[in-house]
Amino acid sequence: MLELLVALVCASILVSGVLAVCLKNLMAAMVSSGLASLFAALVFLLLAAPDVAMAEAAIGSGLATFIFLYAIRKTGYDKG
Amino acid sequence: MAETMLEMAIVLILFAILFGVIRLVLGKTVVDRVVAIDMLTVTSIALIALYAQVSGRFVFIDVALVYGLLSFLSVLAIARFMERGL
Repeated sequence: MLELLVALVCASILVSGVLAVCLKNLMAAMVSSGLASLFAALVFLLLAAPDVAMAEAAIGSGLATFIFLYAIRKTGYDKG
Repeated sequence: MAETMLEMAIVLILFAILFGVIRLVLGKTVVDRVVAIDMLTVTSIALIALYAQVSGRFVFIDVALVYGLLSFLSVLAIARFMERGL
C-alpha cells in the first residue's frame, strides 16, 4: 500500500513539473511548481526523512513561492 | 476493525489525490488550480497524519503542522497577489 502511495505521489510530482514547464500563464506555472515541491516533501516524509521534508516544505512552498511572486510582479509579466 | 478503517482511509486519500491532480491538469483558470492545490495540501496533511498513526512515528505530526501552516501562507500570498498585487 505504501509503495502504491509513493508511486502515485511521484506521478503527481511528474505531472506538476510538466505543467510548470508547459503552461503559458506564469501564475499557473508558479503554482504548479509549488505543488511539485509540496509533493516532494510528502515523498521525503513517506520515505522516513521528516527533517528533510520540513526543510523542503519551508523553502519550496514558502520561500520560493514568495520570491517567484515578487519576481513576476517586478518584471510585469503578470499582465498577460 | 481499526486496520480496515485505516486501509479504507488510505484508499479514499488515493482517490482524492487522483481527482485533485486531474482538476489541476484540466483547470481552466488560475483560481481552479489554486483551489486544487489547496485541496491537495489538505489531503496530504491527512495522509501524513494517517501515516504517523500507521507507522507509529508521532514526530510526523509536527511535520504535518508545519506543512499546513506553510501551505496556508502560500495560498494566502497567491490570493492576495491575484487580488491587488503583492
